[in-house]
Amino acid sequence: MTATQASAAATAEPILELDDLAVVFTTESARVPAVRGVSLHVRPGETLALVGESGSGKSTVALAAMGLLAGNARVTGRAVIDGTDIVAADEARLAALRGRTVSMVFQEPATALDPLTRIGKQIAEVIRNHRDVSARDAADQAVDLLRRVGIPEPEKRAAAYPFQLSGGQRQRVVIAMAIANDPALLIADEPTTALDVTVQAEILDLLRRLAAETGTGVLLVTHNMGVVADFADRVAVMYHGRIVETGPVEDVLLRPSHDYTRRLLAAVPRLSVAEADRPAPDREPAPEGASGSATDVAPVVELRGVSVVFGRGRRAVRALDDVSLAVRPGETLGLVGESGSGKSTAARVALGLITPTSGTVSLFGADLARTRSRARRALRSGIGVVLQDPVASLDARMTVGECVAEPLRVHRRELSAQDRRGRVEAVLDRVRLPRDIVRRAPGELSGGQRQRVSLARALVLEPRLLVADEPTSALDVSVQESVLEVITELQDELGFACLFVSHDLAVVQHFARRVAVMRAGRIEEQGPTGTTLLHPETGYTRRLLAAVPVPDPVVQRGRRAERLATLAAGRTEGEA
Amino acid sequence: MSTPSYLIRRVLQAVAVILIVTIVVFGLLHALPGGPARGILGPQATAQQIARFNHEQGLDKPLPVQYLYYLNQLLHGDLGTSYTLNAPVARLIGERLPKTLVLTVLSAVIGLLLAIPLGMWQAVRRNKPVDYVITTLSFIAYSTPVYFLGLILVLLFSQVLPWFPSQAPQGDTLAQVFSDPQALVLPVVAGAASMVAVFSRYMRAATLENLSEDYVRTARAGGSRPRAILRRHVFRNSLTPVVAMLGYYVPVLFGGALVVEQLFNYPGMGLLFWTAAQASDYPVLLGCVLVIAVATVVGTLLADIVQRIIDPRVKAGRS
Repeated sequence: MTATQASAAATAEPILELDDLAVVFTTESARVPAVRGVSLHVRPGETLALVGESGSGKSTVALAAMGLLAGNARVTGRAVIDGTDIVAADEARLAALRGRTVSMVFQEPATALDPLTRIGKQIAEVIRNHRDVSARDAADQAVDLLRRVGIPEPEKRAAAYPFQLSGGQRQRVVIAMAIANDPALLIADEPTTALDVTVQAEILDLLRRLAAETGTGVLLVTHNMGVVADFADRVAVMYHGRIVETGPVEDVLLRPSHDYTRRLLAAVPRLSVAEADRPAPDREPAPEGASGSATDVAPVVELRGVSVVFGRGRRAVRALDDVSLAVRPGETLGLVGESGSGKSTAARVALGLITPTSGTVSLFGADLARTRSRARRALRSGIGVVLQDPVASLDARMTVGECVAEPLRVHRRELSAQDRRGRVEAVLDRVRLPRDIVRRAPGELSGGQRQRVSLARALVLEPRLLVADEPTSALDVSVQESVLEVITELQDELGFACLFVSHDLAVVQHFARRVAVMRAGRIEEQGPTGTTLLHPETGYTRRLLAAVPVPDPVVQRGRRAERLATLAAGRTEGEA
Repeated sequence: MSTPSYLIRRVLQAVAVILIVTIVVFGLLHALPGGPARGILGPQATAQQIARFNHEQGLDKPLPVQYLYYLNQLLHGDLGTSYTLNAPVARLIGERLPKTLVLTVLSAVIGLLLAIPLGMWQAVRRNKPVDYVITTLSFIAYSTPVYFLGLILVLLFSQVLPWFPSQAPQGDTLAQVFSDPQALVLPVVAGAASMVAVFSRYMRAATLENLSEDYVRTARAGGSRPRAILRRHVFRNSLTPVVAMLGYYVPVLFGGALVVEQLFNYPGMGLLFWTAAQASDYPVLLGCVLVIAVATVVGTLLADIVQRIIDPRVKAGRS
């Protein structure tokens, strides 16, 4: 935004104005206040980011502004869009407003579109909801919109069903629906959270361009401070249903005044970048070679030339292609890459859950292909596993104590019940959970507590290898920090090797000593984290790193300009 | 998978299933105590008479031979001869099947036409009085045996209120059946009742699930009215699981017809089966079971094909 535009925006009448908004949800057992006393405004052409951790009420505010809250929500206060109070308006008035004056982009592009309706038709529906155009004209305009949001071959693609598109393309379709009638206000609820970082960068570029073209005001709901730094003009920080701090993006992200904002920002893992024009953030990258030259020690797990092919014939998919990696005692190998790059498949091969099509896997020095079921089971007792979703990976019908004790029941049958209880309590101490948690159900715990229960279960057999597949991706940053801290401490204490799968380059940079970057089933490059992520050798890793938004608006502006310049140079080169 | 190769594979699967059904039914038949001869000739028959009957009917040959013999007959459209009616089973079934189809298809179509809107209405009015009322009626209709329901219908709408005849149309041809539509009402209602009860439940559940899907919120955010969202999006998405259930419902429909035809004295395949069962007329029973098995297999095949048409993801192999 230029200076003149900014001053124009600052004086224009707000397109969205929330005044003392409060939302209370009535559940079977209680009335739960979700949002209290929220007041904010968005002017045409400006982007206000609403940030906060899960449960802070930021999505509730966004849905309340659309009048889209569930039936058990009671809203008080005012939410005025273009002169209409959403709180008081009836459903017909809201329908006339939605999709025309105000539109919304949602978090989950996989489910946001009707799976049985062609995308062109879904866009045309929004057009015809508000404008008196023929079905044919609406279809033509839908194709134009698909072109505007950067869908290749829009005439053909208009006839596609959502399942035929990638996640990023689906989000583009949702955006096309949102801008179909040139709305004055766009509400985007975590629009890039479900996407890979390179796709995230493209979607943010697209939203920024569209908002600038039409002077649309944007209310951006996000937990990602990098996205805030990249996109927002102003920021409002939510905590426990209230706004604790509002201000220009530079002030809030660089000079936060509220204590909670400071804590939140401190917990955000920052990607150290070599080309940044300011010194690296306060934290040191993971120390190298802390326990001497690790390469002499025999690896705990080693994949050599592993390929995995799913399916046969023309439908065969090469999920892994000649992958070689090794994790040694006491070290953490970070496995990074975008969705579909094969990082989880590689982790499963290491666990012996997938048999490679070719290549060898050795676990604790034994060739997995040559071990029989009983020996293999014994080998497996040396591995602990933590998975991404702490809700799905714990049996909801077992108590926490039973969950943690289960590996002991399977692999240490000789233990008495008392010994077992002792071991469970000891490991709960280690992951800093209170002992009386054993009698509770996983469903009663918070996400961070549940993930620590998963960790306790993974460590109760004192494994030599911990495989962690996106263990903190479902957690808030402050919780992520504490879980990673616990893993690091225990690793120092117990000396297990760790294979750490993550899409988050910043987390891997802080947590792993070595890193392997994967792309389309191959290892693009691997090496010590400091070297590989600061001075990458391949263009792919460079692009990946460049796409990560850093939570500093000044730095991020420079990075964005640089990334776009590189892209533009690549494009002209390609055309020449 | 491309559509032609899909169809070929599914038809081959269907043929295999039907073959297995013939083996099972054949085996069951010959496991009966005394066998068919005792059933036909009665308890007074001498051992010689039974032996002669078995020999005449080929029942003294080894079972696999009998089975192959039977299979060969089947391929020539010969379902054997009825012991009691002394007529080819194929002809007996051929005369009665169309009438049963009229009854079952009418029951199914009317049942679905009621069940689908009712289920959607319930979902939209979830936990409101109308939802509770329809739910209660559904459970009553579902838990009432068809013969009891039929008796009550006759009592209420034929005896107390003389609106409809208590007997189904008696004509031999379809034209004669349709010339007396009044008489079809009570049998069709009796056949459709459980259909409405079951499928309104399916439709209610499917609609509720779809109403909470993200795409409904997207459509609302685009300014679509609730009615339009139901019609354009929720209806089709909710229909796919219901269509899948339809195929499995074919044998239930025939089972219902068995009772309804007996109750209303409707000369269809159900009544034929009923009388044949009482007379141990095994060729007829076997023929009827085979026809129902084929109908079930064809029903599920059709349901799968319809689902492929409604839901493009099925065709692409990702549902």
